[in-house]
Amino acid sequence: MIAFLARRLVTLLSTLIVAALVIFCVTEVLPGDPAAVMLGLSATPETIAALRAELGLDAPVVVRFLRWMTGFVTGDLGISYAYRVPVAGLIAERLQVTLPLAIMASLFASILGITLGALAASRANSLVDSALMAAAQAGLAIPNFWFGILMVLVFAIGLGWFPAGGFPGWDAGVVDSLRALFLPAFALALPQGAVLARLTRTAVLEALGEDFVRTARAKGLTAGQTLRRHVLRNAMVPVITMLALQFSFLITGTIIIENVFALPGLGRLIFQSVGGHDLVTVKSLVMIYVGAVILVNAGVDMAYGLIDPRLRFGRGVGR
Amino acid sequence: MQHSSCRLALSLGLAALALPLALPAMAQAPKDSVVVCQTLEPPILDPAGGAAAAIREVTYDNVFETLLAFNAEGRIEPRLAEKIDSSADGLAHTITLRAGVTFHDGAALTAEDVKFSFERAMAPDSKNSQKWIFAPIDRIEARDARTVVITLKSFAGDFLDSLAWADATIFSAKSADKAAAEPVGTGPYQFVRWNRGDRLVLKRNENYWGRKPAIANATFRFISDPQAQVAALTAGDCDAHTNLSAPEAVPQLRANANLRVSVGRTEGETIVAMNNGKAPFNNPKVREAISKAIDRAQVNEGAISGFGTLIGTHFSPNHPAYLDLTGAVKYDPAAAKRLLAEAGYPNGFSVTLRLPPPAYAQRGGEIVAAMLGQVGIKVSIEPVQWAQWLERVFRQRDYDLTIVAHVEPLDINIYARDGYYFGYVSEAVKAAVARTKSAKTEAERIAAFQETQRLITADHVNVYLFMLPKITVSRAGLKGMWNNWPVPANPLAQLHWE
Amino acid sequence: MIDRALRHPSFVLGLSITLLVLGVALLAMIWTPFDPTAMRISARLRPPSATNWLGTDQFGRDVLSMLMMGARNALLVGVVAVGIGLSIGVALGMMAATREGSLLDEAIMRICDFTFAFPAVLTAILILTFLGPGLVNAILAIGIFNIPVFARIARGASLQVMARDYIRAAQAAGRSTFGILHRHVLPNITGILIVQASVQFALAILAEAGLSYLGIGTQPPNPSWGRMLNDSQTYFAQAAYLAIFPGAAIALCVLGFNLLGDGLRDVLDPKSKER
Repeated sequence: MIAFLARRLVTLLSTLIVAALVIFCVTEVLPGDPAAVMLGLSATPETIAALRAELGLDAPVVVRFLRWMTGFVTGDLGISYAYRVPVAGLIAERLQVTLPLAIMASLFASILGITLGALAASRANSLVDSALMAAAQAGLAIPNFWFGILMVLVFAIGLGWFPAGGFPGWDAGVVDSLRALFLPAFALALPQGAVLARLTRTAVLEALGEDFVRTARAKGLTAGQTLRRHVLRNAMVPVITMLALQFSFLITGTIIIENVFALPGLGRLIFQSVGGHDLVTVKSLVMIYVGAVILVNAGVDMAYGLIDPRLRFGRGVGR
Repeated sequence: MQHSSCRLALSLGLAALALPLALPAMAQAPKDSVVVCQTLEPPILDPAGGAAAAIREVTYDNVFETLLAFNAEGRIEPRLAEKIDSSADGLAHTITLRAGVTFHDGAALTAEDVKFSFERAMAPDSKNSQKWIFAPIDRIEARDARTVVITLKSFAGDFLDSLAWADATIFSAKSADKAAAEPVGTGPYQFVRWNRGDRLVLKRNENYWGRKPAIANATFRFISDPQAQVAALTAGDCDAHTNLSAPEAVPQLRANANLRVSVGRTEGETIVAMNNGKAPFNNPKVREAISKAIDRAQVNEGAISGFGTLIGTHFSPNHPAYLDLTGAVKYDPAAAKRLLAEAGYPNGFSVTLRLPPPAYAQRGGEIVAAMLGQVGIKVSIEPVQWAQWLERVFRQRDYDLTIVAHVEPLDINIYARDGYYFGYVSEAVKAAVARTKSAKTEAERIAAFQETQRLITADHVNVYLFMLPKITVSRAGLKGMWNNWPVPANPLAQLHWE
Repeated sequence: MIDRALRHPSFVLGLSITLLVLGVALLAMIWTPFDPTAMRISARLRPPSATNWLGTDQFGRDVLSMLMMGARNALLVGVVAVGIGLSIGVALGMMAATREGSLLDEAIMRICDFTFAFPAVLTAILILTFLGPGLVNAILAIGIFNIPVFARIARGASLQVMARDYIRAAQAAGRSTFGILHRHVLPNITGILIVQASVQFALAILAEAGLSYLGIGTQPPNPSWGRMLNDSQTYFAQAAYLAIFPGAAIALCVLGFNLLGDGLRDVLDPKSKER
């Protein structure tokens, strides 16, 4: 057990370090001199040199890498080239939008996916089932940014129920902030919900065929009680796994959706900083995204290893 | 506005989920606050620390003030300077500061602050984007608390006017270092907070030396996406937009009884810049052919819905020295083909068109590429972000063609600048530009400007398309928005609700 | 098998949609109603009519012609991106399978694991900023992410096939590894690869649409559905059709490949058939 966890932790750490190395190399060779870019049109070479020194761009590559790595521990990720404020603060500020957005989207996706999937399974091969599965197919096929645009047209511009974009900030009121996140979270949840609905349906159908279901029914439980008490619980393992594995798609989705809805989140920040060659911010942001995916995947892996010892020596699940 | 679509059935069905949150839209904004939306977010807030127009758009005459300032009509009026006495030779300027001016941190404005601000701008490590303003300065002397004397090395006819530029902002020595993130100025509004990527919040300076502004709380919101701008205005998230990026939406917004739309002027000459220093654009015949292959009226129509004013040279029609040279180069694709053949390119050639992000450039670029295709020039489009544009096109001159609006007022002197990204070198233009600086009378100055305009148009340095419009949208009842942009600025002190 | 396939509703529907898209794309290579790049600014934003069946865009280009050419580009993205993934991924996966547990296997699978940690669109944005935006670079960026997908599937499926007795027999008979892979393993894993290819195809089309929507994918004048969607947004009041048609085209195309993949999975592997 301990050996298993230790091995996984070593793998996790080495993966994180290699990822950091790759990100560092790629961002430091992106074309363009950030100092010159920041200063704009008529900067003199001396001014640029001064800024390069201020940003520590003159230090050797190895020193810069180590400085960056220690920054993740100390919380000092340098000063953003573009905004000239600490990157860590910038990221913390943006997380206040992206994190609730991702959580809301996951919630919507799970609620929709699991209820509709279970509903479809309980009425397998009925008209309801076919309609729900057709809707799930559509949910997978409709690009979420297009869905977002259509929802803005109907619910923001047409009906005026939600703002068309932007984020008022949590200090401006929780209700207003949640309203601003509703449509984007819904757009994000669409494909996730569709995936979960299909998976839940399959998992529930499988569970329905198991012996314990027959036992439960024999004990006199109604179909609905059986579904809630026994079937769903058993079907939840693959569903939750899928939710975790979809994490990478979810955060990727935030990049596009935050651009559709003009939300000041991490996704928009990364798009802006990539465009603005704000390399200090880009590399830390990418590292945070990649690190989050690596951590979630490793977490799922370890959890499975603990639950099912047979998987400890295999290649994990969901691959 | 409601378009039925069966694809929406799903979302409509699920709208039930939305009900708890779908409270009626917030009650009408109280009459002493305003949300002004604008396209670009400033990277920093120090107007003497970067070139971005967006810095000026939020801070000029709001947080920060200058000795002199532009008003809505583009005329220069005194601001922090009460009066300026100039010596007969025009070299020594004695500036008397307004009394009773304090910075937002409570410190009083003194002559030392002026000396400090200009010396900060002139320092070798200064990041000021218009250092030329201060180049003629020999020395600055704070004679007493309210008097400062600036002595020039040589006569510069435009020196005093340039003190109205945001680059000549007056800072306090105590707080200038914080100007990038937490600006402290003398203006009618003071900084509250900046949620980067979204908004900048300002509040009225209750100790302001001038007239008390009507609006107590002002917010600038930054929305770069044209579609989101329209949506935000329609949905009531913004009380105004300073310059809409979606001219095509003007009819739709005009039809909205809650909104007022005005189409005004900027100083933005929009041009197809050609790399004159590089083949084939070093051949004047090729440049003339390109000029003749482009139908400006159609570019104006397709790119910005016809709201631009056509120009024939790099000069603003708002200025008295403007020469109407729109007739000098006529759209004539047949002549363009002939010229290309004469220049040795009977079958045309292939070039790259690097486009910065604004909609006018992206759309204009598509149209220009199609028009050049008609005369045999194969254009491949490459969109770049501003940062890359500045680096590759502007600094390294690594480009063939690009489209950009030059928004600084009276910037024709760039044609005399060595190493400028046009790659254009002309002794005649240099001499004419020098005369615009040394001219002692207005008539001489105008003549020199007009001479410069004629020269660059005759040389077909670039293709001059149109002046960029300023499309101001405001909620009915909101008065005082600038309808024109003599300089990029949105002074909030003049706003009020009716 | 074909009989069963033709009775399978999602397979039939998926196949019909993909064939339709393919047909349109092939037709666009030889004929479109108008030149999809020809601008007529005087005839801009015309609603659907007898001349322009789906109307004209902000530059007076024919939307139907652009959509048809967009179909060609979407399929091109799918074919090349999935092709890159299939060719390199399957080779790597099978190679890893033959040397199961070796350093090579470990290395290949580690790199695959590693690639999965990079969210595809995020990395594509970085790649496109680095290499410059454009269709070719977008295809490359998407294609790279297909390699580990196919490598894993090919490895897993090959291992299963290679555990069968007749492969052991062939090995004992002294057949070369390459011969075994070619003769026995590859034909046996083709089904699962085709199913995955169909799914990846749909994902590739969605990814390209997203990148073009952000403005860093296909560049004008080359028509792209994602880009048309982006361009259309401010014209919604005057020309809603500009936002509807390209979005519907993306959704239809993706739906076709998803259905085809589902159908194929059921037909090729009835055991996994969803009840």
